[in-house]
This record gives sequence, C-alpha cells and structure tokens, in this order.
Amino acid sequence: MKSYLSYFKLKFTIGLQYRAAALAGISTQIFFGLVYILVYVAFYESDATSIPMPLNELVSFLWLNQAFFALVYLWYKDKDIINLIKTGNIAYELCRPQDVYMMWASKIFGERLSNATLRFLPVIIIAMLLPAPFNLDLSITLPRFIIFIISFILSSLLMTFLVLLYHIICLFTLDEKGIVNIFMVVSDILSGLVLPIPFFPTFFQNIANILPFRYISDFPFRLYVGNIPLKEGVIGIVVQIIWMIILIIIGQILMKKALNKAVIQGG
Amino acid sequence: MNLYLKYFKIHLKSEMQYKMSFILSFVSQFFVFFGYYFTIICLFDKFSNLKGFSLYEVLLTFGIIQFGFAFCESFFRGIDQFDRLIVDGGFDRLLLRPQNILLQVFGQEISFVKLSRLFQSIIVLIIAIINIDVVWDIKKVITLICMLISSVLIFLSIFILAASYCFITIKGLEVRNVFTDGGKHMAQYPIGIFKKGFVFFFTYIIPFGFVNYYPLLYLIDKVNNDLYMISPLITILYLIPCIFIFYKGVKKYSSVGS
Repeated sequence: MKSYLSYFKLKFTIGLQYRAAALAGISTQIFFGLVYILVYVAFYESDATSIPMPLNELVSFLWLNQAFFALVYLWYKDKDIINLIKTGNIAYELCRPQDVYMMWASKIFGERLSNATLRFLPVIIIAMLLPAPFNLDLSITLPRFIIFIISFILSSLLMTFLVLLYHIICLFTLDEKGIVNIFMVVSDILSGLVLPIPFFPTFFQNIANILPFRYISDFPFRLYVGNIPLKEGVIGIVVQIIWMIILIIIGQILMKKALNKAVIQGG
Repeated sequence: MNLYLKYFKIHLKSEMQYKMSFILSFVSQFFVFFGYYFTIICLFDKFSNLKGFSLYEVLLTFGIIQFGFAFCESFFRGIDQFDRLIVDGGFDRLLLRPQNILLQVFGQEISFVKLSRLFQSIIVLIIAIINIDVVWDIKKVITLICMLISSVLIFLSIFILAASYCFITIKGLEVRNVFTDGGKHMAQYPIGIFKKGFVFFFTYIIPFGFVNYYPLLYLIDKVNNDLYMISPLITILYLIPCIFIFYKGVKKYSSVGS
C-alpha cells in the first residue's frame, strides 16, 4: 500500500510543477464556462415554457464542472502508460513486485488530482465574482455538503478506475486512437459533461441514468447545487460504490487476460 | 499547386499503409464532433427557438464553421503544427528549397483522418439546407458558396497568424487555443444571440460574424441589402495581412539550431 501511495505522491508533485500549463487550463476553463453559460442564457431568454433545470442551479453546475474539469473529464490518455504499452517497456512494469493495476490507478489519480488542485481555486473565485446570472453560488447546507464531499471523493475514484479501464483496453488494441476514442467520447457525453443530463431527451436520459458515467460529474455537482434531493443522494452514493467495485473487477480480469498473452512490442 | 498535389499523394500513400487503424480513427473522429450536434439537437428539443433562430438555421451556422475548420485541419494541418517545425529546426530545411514557403508548410502534414469531420459537416449542412425555411434562388446559392469559402479562409488566416506567433515565442502558445477553439465554439451559434460586446468582437476583431451570421440574416430574409451576399468575402481582407505578417516573421527568423 505504501508503494502505491508513493507513486501517487510522485505523480502529484510532478504534476504541480506544470504551472504554465495550468494557467492556460484555467483561462480555457473560464472562457468555455462563460461561452456555455451565455448560450444557455440565450436559450432561457428565448423560451422559458419548459425549462429542465432552474437557471441559477444550471449556472453553478456548469461552473463546478469547469472548476473541477481536470478531475472529471473522461477523454484522458496517460502518455506514460500509453508509451509503456506501445514501446514494450511494459515489460519493466511487470518485473516490479507490485500489482500493475493498482500502480497505474495511483499514477492516474495522482496526476489528475494535481491538475485539478492547481486549477480549481482560481476558476471558482472568478466565477463567484461574476455578476448575476453568470455567477457561481456556493451556498449549501451542512448535511448536503457532507454528502457532496463523500460522493465527490467516490466520483474521482470512479473516474480513475474508468480511465484505467480504457488504458487496459489499449493493451488489447495496442492503439490509443480508434475504438478507445469512441469509448471516451461516448462516455464524456453520457457523463453529462457535454450537455447536462436533464436536457437529454427522455430516452437518452434513461440510458444515462443506468450507466456509471453520470456518477462522475453529473451526480455530485447536481447534488451540490440542490438539483438532486438528499435522499436520492444517499442512494446515489451506494450506487457509486457498487459501480466502483464492478469497474475494479472488470479491470482486474481484463488486465490479467491482457498480460497473460502480452506481446512485448520490440525491445 | 503541383507541389501541393505531390505532398498530397505522398501523405495519402503513407496513411494507407495502416488501413485498419485508418478506418477506426476515421470513424472515431466522426464521434468526436458528434457531441456538438447532439447538444444542439437536444437543446432545441427542450426550447422552441434561440432568440428567434430555428434549429436548422443554427445547424447551418454550425455546419459552416465546422466545414471551414475541418477543411483547414485536414489540408493545412502543417501550419497548425508550425511550432514543431520551428522547435526541431525543420523549418531551415524548407527555407533552403526554391519553392513557396507557405505551400511547403501546408504540405508538411495532411490529415486524412480529419476528413471524417469534413464529411460530417457536409452532411449536417445538407440536412440544414433541405429543412431550412429559405426560398433558394441564384443570389442565395452564391451567398452560401461565399460562406463556405470564407469559412475556410478565416481559419486559414487564424492558423497563419498563430503560426507567425511561433517566430517570436518559439513554442506554440497554448493560450491561443482559447481564441481559436473558444472563438470557434462561440461562432458556431448565430452571434447575434450574444451580448453586444461579443458581437463587436466577432465583427471587427475576428470577423467570424461575416462568415455565417450576416449572410444567414440575408438567407432568411431578415435583411434585404444585397451587400450581405458578398459580405463573407471580407475574410479575404483578413487573410492578406496575416500572410504579410507571416512573411515578415520569415525574414526575421533566426534558427534555433540543431
């Protein structure tokens, strides 16, 4: 366990070095947040007959998505891991006395958490300072906050295991484009990152609700802004844990299968 | 032009070496931008209009922007990744050849995978054109063609301008993505739906408005001035100084060595 923690720490501290990249990330997030909100505001001003979500909740939800974007988006390829797979250096990984699955998971988690740590605060502060209706409203009751914190921790773990699963699929395809790209795009859409789930047509909403993707960003952030009742929140946490276990099991099995017939690409 | 065609053939041959990978990447590219269209269709499912614009009018402005962007990303990708040429010193090699520099830079990379986005935007455009509430006559067809051309020109200008930055900064600016990608994202919508400041920005600073918004107003008879028909061609005026700046950069260029 200690060794995995040090992998996590290593990736985390390395990630914190990239401040210039973080600055670019922050400006991108703020700009895109604004653009998204402007579009929604224009829609709300045009036709307010059947709005799926109150505007203030929607705006806060979108800002939370942008602020923690580095921790919730699913289109993510860990360059190191992909390189290991493509160059055959994965052989070295296999020599280590650790479980590759947990090792990669701690690496991915460390990297993503460091990215988010550098980015989220400036985005949140600027979003809070904006004039209404564009501002982020952080007010929340204590019980809701506690449930949010639990669900958010779980959601970032869920993200890690899901992203890891895609990297394991790369072990089979030996290519990070193609099919893996399709998986990533579809999961980004179904996680409600592209368009909040209440805006989906009913049919797609039902699909998104069954699948695990929405528990990564849609669930914790909508819980925060008050769009999901507390009771549902508690149930959601249980669902998150179940999905996490399922993802870990699938990931471990696939990993074993892949490594059993691993072909080392060159030397 | 002949030179570019030669580059074209070489790149095509090299991509066709890995057929399966090419097909899968091609399909996956199709999905990448699917999210945009999914969003807009869902939103119009919930809201009846966007500041008076209908779904197909918005799809048209979307399609026009995506068309130009995908076109430039496919055929002029070399200029998009110009910083690589500068960083690894490859640009020196190009300068030694007695051929047009800009053309050589364009030919450095041609991405056939990105063509899938181009096809996608064409499909969306066709759907929009069939369903949009416009009585087509020769003037309006000309307008539409001008829109397509100007969309390509504006992204080409932006790419060239961004490449010129590399002469100063060496490394490509990540912040520029905020302007190209963010600007692109906004310009996909009819810009009139935004606040005045943005309309000003997209009319006079980066003239995205002339690419799709003002001609759209003409297409759907919101304005009747025939001048709007050729308004997309204003982007040519935008392209010329961009090329000029690029050549100015080439003159001042000093190699990074290696």
